[in-house]
Amino acid sequence: MAKIAIDPVTRIEGHLRLEVEIDGGKVKDAWASGTMWRGMELIVKNRDPREVWAILSRI
Amino acid sequence: MRAVENALGITIPENARIIRNIISGIQYVQDHVIHFYHLHALDWVDVTGALKADPAKTAALAQTISDWPNSSPVYFKAVQGKVKALVESGQLGIFANGYWGHPAYKLPPEANLMAVAHYLEALEWQKEVIKMQAFLGAKNPHPQTFLVGGMAMPIDPNSQNAINAGSLALMLDLAKKAQDFVEKVYIPDLLAVASFYKDWASIGGGVPNYLSYGEFQQDTKSNTTNCWLPAGFIRNRDLSKVEPVDHKKVTEDVAYAWYKYSDDDKKGKHPWDGESTPNYTGPKPPYEFLDTSNKYSWVKAIRYDGLSTEVGPLSRMLVAYASGHKRVKEVVDMVLGKLGVGPAALFSTLGRTAARGIETLVTAEMLPVWINELAANMKKGDLKIHSGDKWDPSTWPAEAKGYGFHEAPRGALCHWVVIKDKKVANYQCVVPGGWNSAPRDAKGQRGPFEESLIGTPIADPKKPIEILRTIHSFDPCMACAIHIVDKEGNELIKVRAK
Repeated sequence: MAKIAIDPVTRIEGHLRLEVEIDGGKVKDAWASGTMWRGMELIVKNRDPREVWAILSRI
Repeated sequence: MRAVENALGITIPENARIIRNIISGIQYVQDHVIHFYHLHALDWVDVTGALKADPAKTAALAQTISDWPNSSPVYFKAVQGKVKALVESGQLGIFANGYWGHPAYKLPPEANLMAVAHYLEALEWQKEVIKMQAFLGAKNPHPQTFLVGGMAMPIDPNSQNAINAGSLALMLDLAKKAQDFVEKVYIPDLLAVASFYKDWASIGGGVPNYLSYGEFQQDTKSNTTNCWLPAGFIRNRDLSKVEPVDHKKVTEDVAYAWYKYSDDDKKGKHPWDGESTPNYTGPKPPYEFLDTSNKYSWVKAIRYDGLSTEVGPLSRMLVAYASGHKRVKEVVDMVLGKLGVGPAALFSTLGRTAARGIETLVTAEMLPVWINELAANMKKGDLKIHSGDKWDPSTWPAEAKGYGFHEAPRGALCHWVVIKDKKVANYQCVVPGGWNSAPRDAKGQRGPFEESLIGTPIADPKKPIEILRTIHSFDPCMACAIHIVDKEGNELIKVRAK
């Protein structure tokens, strides 16, 4: 059995990491990990609701 | 924005509704074409294989599948020359870091050359058609003209400084250009490539639940269910039944995510009560592997009715198909017929990629319809673009809660807001990339990416192109072909035989 990690796979909301167990030429199990914190929800707290779209439309 | 409008009871004007539809529409079309050619195609198309192609045979192939004018032997010879010069220079540039020559590549050289030619054409095409968004949104990405209550832009057929008759005519030209390329290049290429990879119609299916919030609103009611692409939830791949969507069924737990809930990490919270307090418990980088028996991701376990659920074009097309959407049904049946497969083939990596093409075609067809809808409204003298009666915070209640459904190109997106004393008291964004890349939940159910990989054949663990095919089929917004190198070009993939 082999375990591989692919990191980064993606740039959506930061980066995606995959860890995959391969057994007999097939994927046996897999884990997807977002490796970057977004935190946008905390940025808009206590802000004027009329302006949050401009900040949050980035994600 | 829709969440805040929903919380404050704001109804947007008809023109704002139509303009939002046009902006979303061109985003679907441009995003999906870019995804197919620039983010996904090289999982299936061997660029170096194109060098072995006979340009005359490539031209013959191209002419049998489409009447697109760029299909002469001379044209394909020129493209081949470009690729050859790149390969010989040793600097592959945009084509660097592919698994070229991998045995999982199945296309004949001529199909590889045709696809590479269209990869390059699509780059030119996309920068043209997205000008439609420049008219309506001021720029791409991140349009600047949105506004709580409508849009922040003037429309007036007779003004130089507004969306006028001239800009509408130019947008119709761009819509035609968008539709032509999708009909004559994207769809024929998709069918041609897919016909060599039919084994991928039984790989990569993953979780059996599909969600769409509905998009392209046909009336101005907040979170209306009257959408051109319908809202719905499909449970356990049962296409005989589409359940109505209830936003209260969306929950997130953080049993395996790097957050700390004030009460219980294992309890699924509705986003109005959501918390985002970070709690990183993973290893200090650089590390070899994560401890996946504990928290292992910054993505929360988003679930619908407690179930791991896929979002995106496949979910939208399945919901539309199962709801009896006439045009979607026609195109889905056409694609299935041409590939000689049944509807069950949709639940796969190939199905996901095909659904994106189907959605692009039907959406591109609607662009002129929506532009003409805007023109007709303006012609009637309706130039209203913003509802400002609840702009002033003194008109707001002391406390309000709202949610705003949207279907982004990549899938279901909803924001939930709680407003107290004129300020945001709580805000949660539950985005398509989160749904699909979600980790395990408290019950141990895998997320959609994770589940879709189980059973995938891997020819060479050092070159796991098969994993990328399935993960890319979800369109997780990846940089083209540069999937496993860091910015210095060092390979980051780690392989360890256990």
